[in-house]
Amino acid sequence: MTPFEVGLLMTGVLLVLVVLGVRVAFAAAFTGLVGLIIHFSMKMGFERGFFVALKMAGTIPHSKSVTYALSVLPTFILIGFLAFYAGFTKQLFEAAKRWLGWLPGGMAVGTVFSTAGFAAVSGASVATAAVFARVAIPEMLNAGYSKRLSAAVVAAGGTLASLIPPSAILVIYAILVEQSVGKLLIAGFLPGVFSALIYVGIIVAVSAWRGDAPPVKGYTWMERIESVPGTLPIIAVVAIIFCSFFFGLATPTEAGSLGAFVVLVVAFAKGMKTKQLGQALHETAKLTVMIFTLIWGVLVYVRFLGFAGLPDAFKDFIVGLEFSPWVVMICILLAYAVLGMFMDAIGMLILTLPVVYPAVIALNGGEGVSAADSAFGMSGEACAIWFGILVVKMAELCLITPPIGLNCFVVSGVRPDIPVQEVFRGCIPFFVADVLTIAGLLAFPSIITILPSLMG
Amino acid sequence: MMTSDTGGRSGTERPTTYIRFDGWLAHVENAFNMFAAFSILALMLLAVAQVFGRLFFNTPIPGFIDITEQAMAIFAFAGVAYCQRVGGHIRMEIVLGKLHGRSLYICEMIGVILIAFTVALLIWGSWFHFDRSWNIGDSTMDIRLPTWPSKLMVPVALSLLFLRLLMQIYGYARLVADPSRAPVAVPVIENVEEVAQHEIEEAFGEETAEGGTK
Repeated sequence: MTPFEVGLLMTGVLLVLVVLGVRVAFAAAFTGLVGLIIHFSMKMGFERGFFVALKMAGTIPHSKSVTYALSVLPTFILIGFLAFYAGFTKQLFEAAKRWLGWLPGGMAVGTVFSTAGFAAVSGASVATAAVFARVAIPEMLNAGYSKRLSAAVVAAGGTLASLIPPSAILVIYAILVEQSVGKLLIAGFLPGVFSALIYVGIIVAVSAWRGDAPPVKGYTWMERIESVPGTLPIIAVVAIIFCSFFFGLATPTEAGSLGAFVVLVVAFAKGMKTKQLGQALHETAKLTVMIFTLIWGVLVYVRFLGFAGLPDAFKDFIVGLEFSPWVVMICILLAYAVLGMFMDAIGMLILTLPVVYPAVIALNGGEGVSAADSAFGMSGEACAIWFGILVVKMAELCLITPPIGLNCFVVSGVRPDIPVQEVFRGCIPFFVADVLTIAGLLAFPSIITILPSLMG
Repeated sequence: MMTSDTGGRSGTERPTTYIRFDGWLAHVENAFNMFAAFSILALMLLAVAQVFGRLFFNTPIPGFIDITEQAMAIFAFAGVAYCQRVGGHIRMEIVLGKLHGRSLYICEMIGVILIAFTVALLIWGSWFHFDRSWNIGDSTMDIRLPTWPSKLMVPVALSLLFLRLLMQIYGYARLVADPSRAPVAVPVIENVEEVAQHEIEEAFGEETAEGGTK
């Protein structure tokens, strides 16, 4: 067997193992390790080959995990769990309701903004949907909103989590593809806001047309201003992260730590107990180790793939296709949409990017290509950022797509009186909006690339 | 999705030695995870001190990056066994979710055996990595911290994981032998409604706690 054939064989084994439900991190480490052993055994005999492979694989967990760039991850995750335990949700919703209730569907608009804010800080789409289903849906129903709209807004609003900083998933993407973490996070900001505004447009249009979401009036300016301080911690965290990167004041780890510290202080001021802090820390540690294990497990496999020459072969295959690069790009994104229906977004990214990302960059014309010579009209770095935002947006879309859009199930689970089909039906306009957003981001990449390009 | 009919079996049939060892192992795992958790908190405070020191007093913490990198091994590895116990490492359950009884447990057991095999080899490999830095007295670039303690973390954490995997192999083996037994000390599969329910319970727990503090 040639090394390339071994690569193909082991990739097949990995796919089978993952589909059969072996934990992804270890399935990847297993195939990588066995692949390395086979590879080196063929070169230098089993005994020597085995030890070369073993020693090589043995260095990867430590050397790939213990890098400063990755240290930002637990700080972002910590912000999320602390924000959760501190419970900023009610004040956020209250403020949004007072300021925006007068619009047709105004409370739904307020829900989108408050879920977007909370989801951004907590980084947890699904949990956001669960919390807001409890906070926002009863109030919307009381105000005479239809069940379908109320439930759908909560389910869809949660999906805005991954684009607005701080976003752990964008950090993982940036590190995997060796791009600036700061630029990726800044790049997510406009598309995140853009998505939220499109949601708002849809809500206002649908409510005005159907009349199932009457405006809520009667808040004085005084009441509105009184509601602002409760939202400050969330705004502060987003502002700290955004400004730290945009003006280059702090490294990602420092900015994340500062954000976590602010949330911690506010949480204690609001009466968080040490027990809750302990729980938040425990959960943070669990999620952190899960992500790190996934990263090193997959990197063992990627090291083997490199020897087998598979990423290069895939790259040549993609570049050699006779379709327009745009068609290929859309197909790749559709493949992610399908994959996202069966797999968690983080797992999907870490598993596929080492092979898919080089191909996408090659499709654009290579890493150092100038905007003028490239297939998508942007430089290699801009293409990396653009693709990252698109893929993450795609993964979020899967949370409200049948058959297993988890956000819809969560909302229906909190409100057993609203069947899950009803939530999915309510989400159709948002699904269409997301598809249009993705089309918009494909057609006008500058929405994504303009802020990072200003960072210099 | 998984219905386990205990069929009138009483507690006396529960494997008590196994459960006792499981409980003991769980304590160690919890301690390791708590260690990881506090290292994250400590890193966060250190970084805050670093930012304030640098921006306002122009005195950054010496060797901040070295310290962070070496300490990262704690939260990158210490919780790995805990995470395996609670079923926190992600996977695809689309096929497993369709299986029942013995076929399900056989699949699960083969999966765990594969993981145990991989982890055993990686303990060996990562021990070499530690051993090398121990022998040559390797240290970090800036403030010359020795790198071996952080490299030792990998084989230690993986060994703990290996014990957990052995427990799970046994746990699945007794279910393969008799699928009507109640699952003990193995994570159970949930379908999408149950996952949703789980998420809700977690969110509710927090909401209730929040309400209690007001």
